[in-house]
Amino acid sequence: MTARGTSSRFLRSVLQNGVGRYVCQLKRVSLIFSKNGQGSLGAREFIEDGVVDFARKNPGVVVYVSPQPVQVAKIVAEYLNGSVREETVNKKTTQEIGEILGQLANQSGLDIIRIRKPFHTDSPSIQGQWHPFVNRPSTLGMIRPQDRQPE
Amino acid sequence: MSSFSRSAQQWATFARSWYLIDARMQPPGKISTMCSIRLQGKHKPIYHALSDCGDHVVIMNTRHIAFSGNKWEQKVYSSHTGYPGGFKQVTAVQLHQKDPRAIIKLAVYGMLPRNLLRRTMMQRLHLFPDDDLPEDILKNLTEELPQPRRIPRKLSEYTQEERDAFPGIWVPPEDFRMK
Amino acid sequence: MVFLTIACWIRSRGPDRWWRVQEVLKHARHFRGRKNRCFTLAVRAVRRAFVYATKARPKKRRLMRRLWISRIAAGTREHGMKYPVLISNLVKTNVQVNRRMLCDLAVTEPRTFQSLVALAKARREEGFRAALGDGKEPPGIFSRIVHSH
Repeated sequence: MTARGTSSRFLRSVLQNGVGRYVCQLKRVSLIFSKNGQGSLGAREFIEDGVVDFARKNPGVVVYVSPQPVQVAKIVAEYLNGSVREETVNKKTTQEIGEILGQLANQSGLDIIRIRKPFHTDSPSIQGQWHPFVNRPSTLGMIRPQDRQPE
Repeated sequence: MSSFSRSAQQWATFARSWYLIDARMQPPGKISTMCSIRLQGKHKPIYHALSDCGDHVVIMNTRHIAFSGNKWEQKVYSSHTGYPGGFKQVTAVQLHQKDPRAIIKLAVYGMLPRNLLRRTMMQRLHLFPDDDLPEDILKNLTEELPQPRRIPRKLSEYTQEERDAFPGIWVPPEDFRMK
Repeated sequence: MVFLTIACWIRSRGPDRWWRVQEVLKHARHFRGRKNRCFTLAVRAVRRAFVYATKARPKKRRLMRRLWISRIAAGTREHGMKYPVLISNLVKTNVQVNRRMLCDLAVTEPRTFQSLVALAKARREEGFRAALGDGKEPPGIFSRIVHSH
């Protein structure tokens, strides 16, 4: 696809997160799985092995574990900026689910689209941007016909 | 930090200035080069061909431009009306007598890029045959550009002392008879 | 034996040809007219578009450089210098700022750019003095003569 048609944004983080203190942007995670479904096998194993470790490691994240009669196990992640992301973890192993969850916890919650440039600044100019009168000597009343008229 | 807010910064950067050029005794080509650079905005470091950042240029005294050489007689301006036999050719003198602004206008128009912005840029060119400018244009002017050519003094403008002090090649003897 | 691709076979719906057509149409959806839905027309247009895209990549670099140069030239002329003079003297003073950064400086940091121009101007004076002068050093030296080659 050409770059013109796809949505894009500039590189940024939420409120300069991480410049001073890092705030985990993931607010709430719910792991939805089936109690006896085939595809949820890895999810059930993950709940036994890793979910408590994950919750202990990320104290700012609320982790819900909800068994539901679903075909496809999934992780629903909610972020501080209100965006919600769903990841299917159907037929995934314990290790893979752990990786996905770690990735979700590290994300900022901004939608993942093409980034126009790998660098960005909100204040591009320190000295003040160029404007037509920067390098021009002040010519108040120096223009000839204006001068001539009052005489 | 800059002293402007962001929107004011934007206005300041893209502000249009009005330049004044006095075309008295100036070659039209050089005047037009200066104009076409300003009209396109190529004198600004924010230049982009599509951002329409050109300035206004006011030219006064277009009646008093100075062609060098024999261009007044030999330079030919051609046009075609579109009808059969409609090929018109006029010399620079004839064109200048018909419209004292036409020579500069044609020269600038030829120097601008051939795109859709060309007519817009031409609208920002203000030509005046003499040196009386209307009040609303005078109010806008921000800068007068220096003339590209130094105006030579006429013989009548020299005082008698300066003329006497001028070194002569040959001094006629007392009894020399001018025919 | 673990046969991994069979899962993909089961999941893929529809005939193979349909998928191959979609592969092409995917790139043509924003085209104008029947090109964005008829395969026969789309396949030609997509091929053309890819050729243009390939050709445009080096062209874009050239165009950007040209734009930077015209912007630097405009900024330099404000300080009463010409572009080739600025660049050649900056090279001689070993200022390794490329044209893109010079252009950014001219727009966003005009005072820095002004000082670079002043540096080039001083270097130029020094070169003139070395070539034409009496070999004495000027007061207030900005740069030394460095032969870059």
